[in-house]
Amino acid sequence: MTAAGRAPRASVTGRAGPQIGLLLGGLLLLTVIAVLSMGVGARHIPPAEVVRALFDHQGTDDHVIVRDVRLPRALLAIAVGAALAVAGALIQTLARNPLAEPGILGVTAGAGFAVTVGSALGLATGQAGELGFAITGSVLASLLVAAVGQRSPLRLVLTGVALTAVLGGVALGMRLMLPDAFDTYRFWSVGSLAGREQAPLALPLAAIAVSLLGALLLSRALNALTLGANVAHTLGAGVGWVRAATLVLITVLSGAATAVAGPILFVGLIVPHLVRRPAGGSVPWMILYTMVLGPILLLVADIGSRVLLPTGEVPVAIVTAFLGGPMLIWAVRRYGAGSL
Amino acid sequence: MSIRRSSGLVGAASLALILTGCGFSSESGSDSSDKGGTRVFAADNGKITIPAAPKRVVATGYAVPALIEADAPLVGISSWKRGEPMMSKEDLAEYKKLPKVAGELATETNYEAIAEADPDLIVIGVPAPVLGDIDVKRLEGIAPVVAIGPTVPSAWRELSRKQSDAAGALKQFDAAKNTYEDKAAELAKKYKDVLPQLKLGHVGSYGDAAKGTFQREFNGSWGTNIAEDIGAEYYGKVKKAGPGSQSVSEYPSIEELPAAFREADVMTYSVNADGSVPKSVQYVLDSKLWKNLPAVKAGKAFPLRYTEAATYGEAVVTLDAIDKSLAPLLNR
Repeated sequence: MTAAGRAPRASVTGRAGPQIGLLLGGLLLLTVIAVLSMGVGARHIPPAEVVRALFDHQGTDDHVIVRDVRLPRALLAIAVGAALAVAGALIQTLARNPLAEPGILGVTAGAGFAVTVGSALGLATGQAGELGFAITGSVLASLLVAAVGQRSPLRLVLTGVALTAVLGGVALGMRLMLPDAFDTYRFWSVGSLAGREQAPLALPLAAIAVSLLGALLLSRALNALTLGANVAHTLGAGVGWVRAATLVLITVLSGAATAVAGPILFVGLIVPHLVRRPAGGSVPWMILYTMVLGPILLLVADIGSRVLLPTGEVPVAIVTAFLGGPMLIWAVRRYGAGSL
Repeated sequence: MSIRRSSGLVGAASLALILTGCGFSSESGSDSSDKGGTRVFAADNGKITIPAAPKRVVATGYAVPALIEADAPLVGISSWKRGEPMMSKEDLAEYKKLPKVAGELATETNYEAIAEADPDLIVIGVPAPVLGDIDVKRLEGIAPVVAIGPTVPSAWRELSRKQSDAAGALKQFDAAKNTYEDKAAELAKKYKDVLPQLKLGHVGSYGDAAKGTFQREFNGSWGTNIAEDIGAEYYGKVKKAGPGSQSVSEYPSIEELPAAFREADVMTYSVNADGSVPKSVQYVLDSKLWKNLPAVKAGKAFPLRYTEAATYGEAVVTLDAIDKSLAPLLNR
């Protein structure tokens, strides 16, 4: 253990009791909302029936809907919400920029570009094809941004913005010329959790789980980095490898989340702001809180996406956009500009 | 003849035709004719003066298969890939030979190519909302333009007749119509002891089903309207009717699949012309909710090919495909 890791931990030891209580309360709330989300939809299913479907499956239509449609959807919301929120916390910590979000590494633009190319070539057909192209695109884009912008956070952000603009422009041109590619992209481009239950999700979800664990292990070293590269280096933290490992985690988390659900903005931006105050400046606590609050926010938004319109569902990305803007303004007003 | 100046005469002539028992004019949209070689034709874009016997016709959209089939004097057409699998060999050869003056989309209209084709009539077969993507004024500078686009899916019968009428090609149209009606009557007789007693449900592939939804088609929709002619009854109606195809089909959540088709004795679903299953339909077929449906458990789920037929010639192909798919019902 480095000195960099020990110092911040000691600084928060005295507050661990309330913070653990808050975390457990968050986990309880997450469980309740997850069960509620499995009862809400085009067909109302009471919570007691949801529990029966999970633990005493009889194969009725209600039980099949819970087990085969809503349970995978809730698990996906939890995984994607946690992945985007933690990726947001990591990029904001790494770039030391409170307005940074996972898409700044070109992940979303890379995935969208790859889906467009895959559709144009006739290869991104079906959910597995789209998933494969989205993952490949997001990984390649973020690797390129990381390679060019590795020397400083500012260079990283500028490279991400530039690559996003270039990939977005080229992909737009292709979509305008190729109606079939446009058709595929327009459904993918609005992030949604609906209809994903048959997609091959095991690999991306496993990658998210491993990366979340990695983020926890890395979080104490990141604490030192928040003091600046020179101070962190003086404290004995390996600045280079911490940055590289963080970039890998951000890429995998946001790339996998974007690949399985499409682009969902604001979760990665707003959740770290909401947990910053209770985390008390501790990166490990911030990571833990974002892991719980991200899924809660996405589950609530997903419930909203099912009930807001009487005619059908609204993609969850639209709901998060509606929620995210006001929440960001509220966070600034509540905590002052210092929260940014 | 000026349209504005002749409106009274047109009305009187129309009334006279109807009163003398000639229902042809109201069905075709043709309001009157004169001896100067023109007539006034009622189209989606108003009452248009067109040649009584056009010699050089340009067709786009749904008018393409209708006018090829009716042997209209075509000099240019838009691309119409979706209809290719349903065309006869002769019609397909004609379709490939004709100069293409527009792409698959209305926005891909090539105005210079249309002008070069030197038509004396342009028949646009696109839905009314899509008409806004076409510079009709510019086309009117080339030749008279009649827009005759689809409304509800089952209206292809009247629309293809109207398009053929505008192009002065009703003779061949009537022959194709008679062939279709004879075939439909023959199949209705074949299935009379089976189909009318059953409640059918249909999962379609037309339009854009968002993820997590499916297209349910009722009577009068693309996937159902031709089967209705042999006695099939697709029960139910849309929850909230909208314009055009939204009055006969809807896109509910996959969670509503059991409620939608619980009463169905037989399920049908649209497949591509080559028999492959479109991905929006495959999503439904892979769902456990589909496998739980009574009709599916009873082995009464059948694929239907060629559900996009929009002419009588194409519909004959569809009738053959329906007969082949539903044949197992005769053995039960």
